[in-house]
Amino acid sequence: MPQIVIQNITKTYTIGNERIDAVRAASLEIEKGDFLSIVGHSGSGKTTLLSLIGGITRPSSGAVFYDGTDIQALGSDLLSDYRCEKIGFMFQFASLLPMLTVKENLLLPSAFRSRRSEIEETKAKELLSMVGLVEKINAYPPQLSGGQQRRVAIARAFMNSPEIILADEPTGDLDEDTEMAMMDFFRKMNRTEQITFVMVTHNTDLARRTQRQFRMSHGVIRQQ
Amino acid sequence: MSDRFTLSSLALHNLRRRPLRTGILVAALTLMVAALVFALSFVMRVNASINLTAERLGADLLVVPTGSRGAAEDILVENKARSFYMSRSMVDRIRSIEGIDKVCYQTYLVTLTGLCCSVPESMIVAFNQETDFIVTPWLKNKLGRKLQKGEAIVGSESAYNINLGLVNVDGLLFGNVFHMVGVLDKTGSGLDTAVFISDDNIEEILKNSKAGIRPDQISVIFAKIRKGADLYKVMSEIENTILEVDVVMRKDIGKSLITSLGDISKIFYLTMVLSTSLSLFLVWAIFTAIANERTREVGIMRALGAKEKHVVKLFLIEVLALGAIASIAGIIGGSALTLLTAKSFSILKNLPVELSVTARVFISLAGLLFGTGICALGALAPIRRLKKLEPLLVIKQE
Repeated sequence: MPQIVIQNITKTYTIGNERIDAVRAASLEIEKGDFLSIVGHSGSGKTTLLSLIGGITRPSSGAVFYDGTDIQALGSDLLSDYRCEKIGFMFQFASLLPMLTVKENLLLPSAFRSRRSEIEETKAKELLSMVGLVEKINAYPPQLSGGQQRRVAIARAFMNSPEIILADEPTGDLDEDTEMAMMDFFRKMNRTEQITFVMVTHNTDLARRTQRQFRMSHGVIRQQ
Repeated sequence: MSDRFTLSSLALHNLRRRPLRTGILVAALTLMVAALVFALSFVMRVNASINLTAERLGADLLVVPTGSRGAAEDILVENKARSFYMSRSMVDRIRSIEGIDKVCYQTYLVTLTGLCCSVPESMIVAFNQETDFIVTPWLKNKLGRKLQKGEAIVGSESAYNINLGLVNVDGLLFGNVFHMVGVLDKTGSGLDTAVFISDDNIEEILKNSKAGIRPDQISVIFAKIRKGADLYKVMSEIENTILEVDVVMRKDIGKSLITSLGDISKIFYLTMVLSTSLSLFLVWAIFTAIANERTREVGIMRALGAKEKHVVKLFLIEVLALGAIASIAGIIGGSALTLLTAKSFSILKNLPVELSVTARVFISLAGLLFGTGICALGALAPIRRLKKLEPLLVIKQE
């Protein structure tokens, strides 16, 4: 059974009198351990599709199934548990909380877990080490460069040992070398931990390094 | 893990973010709680003084010359020195009223510094030891015998006033030397500042001074009614048959003081309503600004798995911490203000009763609940709005 099944999903926004179909009748099956990318222009519906998979918005029609469970049928708390325990988000923008240190930013998702782990701090250090920022553990986000902040956000996405990473332009602020290093890190996590990756990117070269590539245009998704 | 990262840790970080804004909010709430504590302390102290005086009076009715009700309450509740007189024949007339069980009387004299007496202005209470049931229980308790002619016993608060502080010393009262034989226990009434003598001494006092009264005059009659008698009926009977007197029921003692304090109370209430409204508005405005500022952060937290209850809890911790800090500061400030003004306000200075520990604890708890409650109430709407925030809307705004 596929890990994620997106079934004829549509998301419509109403702005004033205008109706905008951000995602139109999208269907997709994602197996556990998949590494797929979605490319497309700004406003093509990529971020909305990621949000629908991640349960941070509800579709206007259609359904998203995770391991056979319709996530739309989940109540608010269970949907939050799904986001907390199963999903790791990498946002398109700088998403660190400025008043928290790097370590505290990494520990933030753990604070929302029903069952806390005893090795949270150790794990935070390990992840920071993997993205090459362990020496910045007690720094505050404003003390970091944009690229460093992005890497901290990448590390944070793995804190709760997610089964799926939803990455929205995860390497946008990174130089070419660091971008490649992060991609290697993603592939390593994909292979060793069997973490599923759904990555949105403008970068077609980066997309080519994934197992499956999709393109979105005007809310419609197609495999390339 | 001792330093595990929790929502409380996050709330603490948030509280430190805008110290000036947080400081203004805390200051406003502190002032509001301080005003409440001061007002409550004032009102409760006045009420406690009145209630205790009435409770310990030992009589059901107080009979005074017509028009002297206020002066009698001045003596009993506010420790003020007053004198007023009526004929002693009133005692028998009161005793003859249907429903009266027993009566006793007192004569009040006010000393004048330097002219007649070795003490500053004080109340001298002369009472009949054969019939008295007001002072005698206290006297028996302390002295264990009746007062002799030429002897006086002082109220618990008057020892300082007459510069004695010790027993077994002599003092000059209306040209007569009195031997002070003891200090009465505190009664909690205005009579605590008086000096008590037997009414056998009145004749001598009149002989040696210009006390301004006639030998057959008294100031007040205390009456107890028979068991089962209708208090209102007895009171009405006295007022209808003896026009020269006013009657005050025990439960009505202090009513004129409360009436005269009515305007002060209204000012207190108005101040409280205004400061509460202002604080409520300030909390709402500041937390609305905070909510707008943190929309993005809350969106991120919700996307990372925070439940609605996590968002509510996070903000409630902040709100309650702010409310608690401000309330504690307000309780300390209000209590300090109460102590400072106790010596400046004549009405507070004269009240015989200090607030009990229980009353102080009650006032502090009321201040704490009020301060934190107003803080929580003001922040309710912004918190509800944040709780319902859809994370995607925030993410799309970026």
